Formats: sequence, structure tokens, C-alpha cells
Amino acid sequence: MHTLHLTKVFAILLCTAVVAQVASPQAAPRLPGELAWTIGYDPKSFDPAKVDEEESEHVRYLTAGVLLRFNRYSQQVETQLAKSWSLSPDRMTITFVLRPGLAFSDGSRLTANDAAWSIRRVLLPATAAPVAEEFVEPAGVTVATPNDHTVVVHLPKPVVGIGKVFDEIAIEPAGRPSEGRITSGPYFVADYHRSQYIRLRRNEHFQGREGDRLALASANSIRLDVLDNAEKEIRLFQREEYDVINGLAPDYYGLLKQKSPSSVRDLGPSLNTEQIWFNQAAASPIPAWEKTWFQSQAFRVAISQTINRADLARVAYEGHATPAYNFISPANVAWYNHSVSTPHFDVAAAKAGLAHAGFRMNAGHLEDAAGHAVAFSILTNSGNAARMKMATLIQQDLAALGIRVTVVALDFPALIERLMHTQDYEACLLGISNADPDPNAAMNLWLSSSPNHQWNPSEKTPATPWEAEIDRAMQQQATSPTEAGRKRAIDRVQQIVADQQPFIYLVYPNALYAVSPKLENVKAAVLNPGVVWNVESLHLQGAR
Amino acid sequence: MNLLSSLFRRLLRMATVVLLVIVGSIVLVRFAPGYLSDAREMDARYAEGARNELATEAARSGSVGGMLWSEVRGLLRRDLGVSRQYEVPVVELVRPCLAVTVGLLLKSMMLAWIIAGCTATISNWGRSPVSLPGRLCHLTSTVLLAVPIGAMATMCLLADSGGPLLVLTTLLAARDFKFLDRMLRKAWNDPHLLHARAQGVSTPELIRVHLLPGIMPQLGSLATLSILTALGAMVPVEVIFSTPGIGQLAWNAAMNRDLPVLLAVTVMMAIAVTASGFGTGSRPATEWQTA
Amino acid sequence: MRFRSIAGWLLLAMVLIATAIVTSSGKAISEQDRNAVLEGASHRHPAGTDSLGRDRIVRVSAAFLLSLTGAVAASFISTAAAAGVGLLAAFSTAGVGTLTMLVCDVFLALPWLFLLMMVRSMLPLSTSPADSALITFVVLAALGWPACARAVYQGALRLRNSEWMIHARAGGMRIRQIPRQVLPNLLPLLLPQFLICVPAFVVAEANLGTLGLGVGEPLPSWGGMLLELGNSAILMQTAWVYLPIAVLVMALLLLESTAREA
Repeated sequence: MHTLHLTKVFAILLCTAVVAQVASPQAAPRLPGELAWTIGYDPKSFDPAKVDEEESEHVRYLTAGVLLRFNRYSQQVETQLAKSWSLSPDRMTITFVLRPGLAFSDGSRLTANDAAWSIRRVLLPATAAPVAEEFVEPAGVTVATPNDHTVVVHLPKPVVGIGKVFDEIAIEPAGRPSEGRITSGPYFVADYHRSQYIRLRRNEHFQGREGDRLALASANSIRLDVLDNAEKEIRLFQREEYDVINGLAPDYYGLLKQKSPSSVRDLGPSLNTEQIWFNQAAASPIPAWEKTWFQSQAFRVAISQTINRADLARVAYEGHATPAYNFISPANVAWYNHSVSTPHFDVAAAKAGLAHAGFRMNAGHLEDAAGHAVAFSILTNSGNAARMKMATLIQQDLAALGIRVTVVALDFPALIERLMHTQDYEACLLGISNADPDPNAAMNLWLSSSPNHQWNPSEKTPATPWEAEIDRAMQQQATSPTEAGRKRAIDRVQQIVADQQPFIYLVYPNALYAVSPKLENVKAAVLNPGVVWNVESLHLQGAR
Repeated sequence: MNLLSSLFRRLLRMATVVLLVIVGSIVLVRFAPGYLSDAREMDARYAEGARNELATEAARSGSVGGMLWSEVRGLLRRDLGVSRQYEVPVVELVRPCLAVTVGLLLKSMMLAWIIAGCTATISNWGRSPVSLPGRLCHLTSTVLLAVPIGAMATMCLLADSGGPLLVLTTLLAARDFKFLDRMLRKAWNDPHLLHARAQGVSTPELIRVHLLPGIMPQLGSLATLSILTALGAMVPVEVIFSTPGIGQLAWNAAMNRDLPVLLAVTVMMAIAVTASGFGTGSRPATEWQTA
Repeated sequence: MRFRSIAGWLLLAMVLIATAIVTSSGKAISEQDRNAVLEGASHRHPAGTDSLGRDRIVRVSAAFLLSLTGAVAASFISTAAAAGVGLLAAFSTAGVGTLTMLVCDVFLALPWLFLLMMVRSMLPLSTSPADSALITFVVLAALGWPACARAVYQGALRLRNSEWMIHARAGGMRIRQIPRQVLPNLLPLLLPQFLICVPAFVVAEANLGTLGLGVGEPLPSWGGMLLELGNSAILMQTAWVYLPIAVLVMALLLLESTAREA
């Protein structure tokens, strides 16, 4: 009996020891004065010319030196490596004059030759740089260097908002592209551990906009942890392991606010939109009567009138979203138009509209004129809690009209296959993130011939007169020589979209950030990369 | 000679499994929705590049036979082929992850066995068939099995302690305990053990001489089962904790339809699964039908 | 023995209470009280509401009935399939045995995720939430057996070579008598497997929601409610989030006690 007791005690002790061994916490390394935040996945490439997804773009923003910088806060184009720039009256020749004494992060001199080489590189078809498309006819662009500090770019035809295009062209040492290892921007890639972190170091040779040495204000290094886990990110932020959370999820906003009210920022509506649209493609494999509903303006307007957007913003986003009725967000000061009239929440009007269009109620269910019960599915991507909630809220809203809605969440590739390739879907709820406030950037979304014209992609000729009118207005804004002319064209597009509801806009999610109270010089901007747009002046309190 | 031929048979079996898994995976991945689509197609800025990549991939994967050939050729190369998503050799992606995962799995399995063994021993010690410690152990293991991994991860984060190792160990220990406990209970009440206990044989001797030899062969199937459980739990645990291991790599590859990476991972899985059955399962030559 | 029957009655009582709550509540399963989101207990909502303002107690009851039936049935099928395959492999010719285990191994290593995606793409998008739930549990049952089958195979092999079996074979036991004689001896292996599968399937159902399968909105998914425990922001708001897991643990303990062999 005695041995039995001893063995039992031993077993318990062993158990406890094992549990204690397993439960040791983990810590992340942080250099002195280092700033740290997260990116969601490994960037595909550090080559600034080949950036084709968000995280690569984030790294490029932090590392690349560019001739012109689009200020994310003031939404104006400013000079960076260029001292000055000018556009000829015919808007076809751009002349840049470089700052004196520029150098790359390895100390070598930066001349007009390097700038010209970098611009030519992105224009080459072999580079396949996505930014080349923004020159409209990249093959016709010529770059000349009359002297060591001047670069002249000649365009075959004028391009709207050409200044902003240069925000995406990193100036690299001529003939030796280095994938971010040698840069002319504020930081360079020093260390990369796949799936763990990227460490950027300060480029000691970088000059700020005022020509002052960067070393005066910026952090020595930045660590970007590859982490796609909101829960862990929040926890590490609270432990001061991270200084910034870009794109804070609305449900965590309240949590963080409770614990440290000074660390959260809600900047109001972002430029992004969340919308739902119906599949209007003639070639889609859905039943013909459903296409008839979806192509009916009255049907779309009635759906739009039945969706309670205020509830979507309040319930799905915990109040951190703004009801949306059109594609230009109120945050986009230059292009937003208050005077566009839109259908608002009005279930009675929706019912009347549907009755007028031949729909009728039968035993609590809505039927079309031919007696088909109105039911459809809403597709959305899985893993986005707010979208799933919105879809479920809309499901109940539309039940008031007698419409039965099924909600289906799919993983992204499967969803995209249905949207872009098979067109086998009825309605889709997704968001569009707008990196650029200029509506010209959304050209591909509105032109009826574009594959990104979601509700009816790649039309040979516009299927409806209103789509033809949108096409004309978009072309007009792209070629109009005056800003007022462009604005008029975009206002027209907004009005058509409000009348026709090809996209039923739901909300503008607010731009939410968490910022460590220790971080100085923060001027959070709505546009990406949010808090860190002025990375060259950010540093931790006491670190300098 | 016998040993050699048995080894040869097992290797042959492993090769067959690996080959079948390769063919099966290629067919599954190729014909699953979304193989020829890309989230970047939705982004007006990047759509053009994404479409070009997809067109190249569509041309490459036109026939399953051709695809099989090119993937197997990729796997046989020293770099295991090139990742579709990152355009770097697969071996570069797999190598660091493999070290992390193997360490995690081995450690957690070992710890889980110790914990399960101890708790099962404690649970079976009472004289009545259902003792208080036994009930407590059962209650704990049931609770642990009911808690989803995500919730465990959140608890670890909230408590600022623990991590993937703790969660994986807990999960495995809870599962192993369920099996071990039943096995021990049955063995403990075997007639010869009851007899030995009645005769007053000392406990350590009882375990060493009478109990262990009886359950040893069954431990083989328990080992198999816990290896399989660990392999299965690896993906959710690593994804939820963002551990840079094979599980997370496989998940990302699956979500991005990165076939070369997925193939490398599934082949490793196939080898692990076949190898987990190596220790046990030998059949005697006599056949039922001849009886 | 007494304890076992008490557990059985308690489980039955839980089912009856849940049924009573669901039937008496009418449409409340999906009805959204949008002004009472994530609230604690109140007169109208005795166990508070979820993140869309739906009554939590009604949803937990409905999910309990739906998911418990589904998960128990799926684990039963999957364990039975494992037993069948394991026995077949152990008691037939060596060739069949090897082949069956080979299939098991292949099954275990294949990326089934993609099969699930294919299943989803073959179903119409308008598949009703109830049908989707049914299909999900069938799929789970169909994919859950191989790991257990291998353990059963090894257990059965041991039994096959055990002394009493050799006696029985010598005494002329027929093949069709095997299951009756062998199964009770495999119970220590099968029962834990069955009990482990139940909570695993409950959560797996919710994870399949990622692929468009699972219990669709507005039907309540127990797994989905359990996944809420992974969100600390929700945990902070109301303690009623723990209700589903409390119910699950209770149901599992009762199930375990009921199923326990003497």
C-alpha cells in the first residue's frame, strides 16, 4: 500500500513538471528603438517593379525612394527625390530636377541616369511591371537625361494624374536592381526570415523632403512580423511588442478602447466600399427568369431600398462604418458629391416598386409575373466576419419583401472562379479597396468592356444605354483637359449608378487603427499605409 | 534475409502509397474550384499580371498526364520544384518549416504520452471501479476535448503563457488518456492480475511483470493513433498560432492552390503515415480461411 | 449501473428541454433584435443575445439538437465504418488486408480539403441550410474513419492470434460469427474513438463553413458558437458566450457515462 501511494505521488509530480515545462511563454526579439508592426503574409517579391499585391506594396512604400510622393495625408503630389517637377502645357512632357547630393543606401551616388534607368525598366514589357499600364501606352514613352540632375519623360499622349504614377516607381541603382537591398528611400531590406519577419534598416543617406537628414527623427529599424492572427496581434500590441495595428477589426476596437482609450483611432469613413451586386451577365448559367429579375432596374432599386444600411453599420461594424450610397466616399474630399439623389431605406416604396414591375406576393413569398418564387443566394468570401454579418442582416431585411436568401461563404479562389470565370452565381457581397482617391483608377471597374466590370464583365458592346453612358463619361473624365470637366463627368457617373444600382453600396468601413501612445509624430491618414505613411518621422518616445 | 525482405516489402508499400497520393493530390487540386483563378484578378491594378500568370498555368496544366509528369519531375529534382505562389524552390520553403514542425510534434507527443500515462495510472488506482481521481481525470479530458483549438489559443494569449506546444500536448494527452485509461482498466481487471493482486504481489512488480507485457502490443496501435491525431491537429494548431511550420505552409499553399508545395507536404504526410504503422501490424503466415 | 441510467435520463431530459424551448419559441431562432446585440440576460432573452441580436438560449437549444444528432450519427457511422474495415482487413486474406490498409494510408495523406471544395462546387448555391448541414455531417462521417480503422485493424489482428480465438477457430467458428465475438473485445478501442469524434465533428462542421459547407445562416451552428470562444472581444462582452461549451461538456459527460460499459 505504501509503494502504491509513493508511485501515485510520483505520477502527479511528473505530470505537474511536464505541464510546467510546456507552459513557458514565448517572446519576440526587438532591437533598441525598433518600430514593429505586422503584415498579413510573406510579400511575393521585394523587387519594387514587380509589386503586385498589398504586402509587397507596403514594403515598397517603406523602402523605395521615388521622384514624387503622393502625400497620403494631404492627398497631394509632393516631391521626394526630385527637387522640382513640371508638366508641359500639352501635358505630354514631364521634367524632373533631382535634389543635389542624392545617394543610395550603400553610399553610391544617385544621378539622373539611375532615375532614367529605373523608369525605363518598369516600362519594358520584359519586366511586366503592373505600373507600366498606367502610362496607357508604355511602349511609346521615352526617357531622356539632358544632364546629371535632370530627367525628361515624354508621353505619347496625356495621362490623367501622371504625377501619382511616379509614386510607384522606385529609383534603383542603374543596372543593378537589388530587390530592396539597396534603396534610395528611407529604409532598406536588411534581413528576411520567411514566414517570420522582415527587418528594415534606416538608410543613412536618405534625405527627407526638406533635405534634412532622416537620422534626426526616424527609427533605426523596423520589424515587420508576418502574422495573420488578429487575436495575437492585439495581445502583442497590448504588451507593447507592436506599435501600430493597421486596419483594426471593428470588434477589437471596443476591446482596446476599454483598456487604453488613447491608443485607438477611428478616422471615419475610408475610401473603401462594401457592396452587393447581382449577376447580369447574359452568358451566365443561371435560369433565364433570374437574369430577368437581376436586369430589372426596379428589382435592384427595391432591394437597395429594403437594406437597412444604418443597421449594417451599427451591428456588423459596431458603429465603425458609414452607410454608403455611392462609390465615392465622403473621405474623398475632391470627388464626393452631396447632391446625387439616391434611393434610401423605404420598404413601402420597395414593395410598391416591385408590384409595379409585376412582382406579387403569394402566401408570404414574392413571385415574379411568371410565378417563379423570388429566391437567390448571396456569395461572399469566408473569413470576413463583418461581411458574413452583413449578409445575414440582409437576409432578414429581404425576408420582409418575401424573398428567401441563402448565404454562402467560399474561399477566395473558389469565389473568384465563380465571379470571373464561370459566372455561376446570383448575387455577391464583396468590398473594393481604393488605394487612389482619383476615380480614374477605377476605370477598369466601370468600362463595360473590362473583365473587372463585375456585374456583366467583358461586354463586347454595352448591354444597356446607361452602361454606354457610363463608358462615355469615364472616357470623358480621362481625356478632359480641365479638372471641372472631369468632375462633371464623374458626377454624371455617380448619378447613373445611384439610379441604376448595378452595385448596391452598403457601407464605407471606417479607417480604424491602433497606435502605441509612445509613438511620436503620428498623423494617421485614411489612405494606405495608414499610420505609417510618414514613416521617416515616426519614432518611439525616448528612443532618440 | 527475412528482415531484408520485410523491409523491402514495407518500402515498396511506402512507395506505392506515395505514388497514389501524388496522383490523387494532383487530381484533387487541379479539379477543385479556383485552381485557375487568383484573388488579384479582382484588383484592377494587378488583374492584368494575375491573368497572364493564370494563362501560363492553364497552358501547363492542360492535361493531367502532362501535369503529373512535370510535377513528379519537379519533386525528383533537388529543389523539389518551384512554388507557384512565391516562385522560389519548394525546398527553401519546406526546410525551415520542417524543423519547426518535427520538433513541435515530437515534443508534444512525448509529453502527451507521459501525461496520459500518468493520469491513466492515477485514474485506475482506486479500488472501486469508478474512483474520484478517475472521474476527475475523465472530466478534465472531456472538457479539453470539447474546447476548440481556437479557444485554447485565445486562453493561452489571455493568460500570456503557453503556445502551440501546450495546446497540442493537451489535445493529444486528452485523447491518449481516453484510450489508455480503458486499456488499463481492462488489463487491471484481467483474471491473472486480480489473482496476483489478491496474492499481494507488490505494485511495481505487478506493473512490470504482469501489466506491461499484456498491454505492450496495444500501445503500438495507440502510438499509431496518436501520431495520426498529431498530424491531423498540426494544421489547425499551427494556423491558429501562426507557427511557421509545415501545417501553416500547407494551409497557405492550399488557399493559394500552390500545387508544388502541397505535393511536397502531402508526400511527407504519406511517408509519416506509412511509417507510423511500421512498428506494428505484422501478420502471421497462417490464414483464417485455412483454419 | 445506477449511475449509467441516471446519465441516460439526464441526457434525455436535456433533449426534451431543448425541444420544448425550440418549439415554443416560434421564429426566434433567426429573429434579430438589432437593438439588443451581445447583451446579457434579460427578461426577453434569458441567456442574452448573440452578435446579431438573436436569442442565445433558443439558438443553443436548436444547435444542440441539430449538431448533437448530426455529430453523434456521423461519429457512429464513422466508428462503425472503421470497425467494419478494420475487421475485414484483419480477418480476410493477407492480400485484402494489405490492400485495405494501403487504401487507409492513402486516404489519410490525401488533401481532402479539395474534395470538400469540389463537393461544394457541385451543389447548387441555393442549397438550403438544413441540406447543407446534412451533407456536411455525411462528409465528415465519410472522411473520419481511416485513422481509427488502422487501430482497429491492429487490435483485431491481436485478437485473431489470441489463444481463445485459435481455440474458437479450431472449434469451427464461422466467419459470420466473428463480429459478434470480436466486437465486444474491440470496444475499449472503439468507444473512446466514438466519444472523441463527437466534439471533433461539432467543431469541424463550423470549420467547413470556410468552404461554404456546414450549417448555413440563419440556422444556428453549435460549432460556430464554439468558435466564438476564440474571439476575446466577444468573451469580454458577456459570459453567456460560454453557454454552448457548458452544454457540450455536459452532453459529452452524460453521453460518456451512458455509453460506458460495465
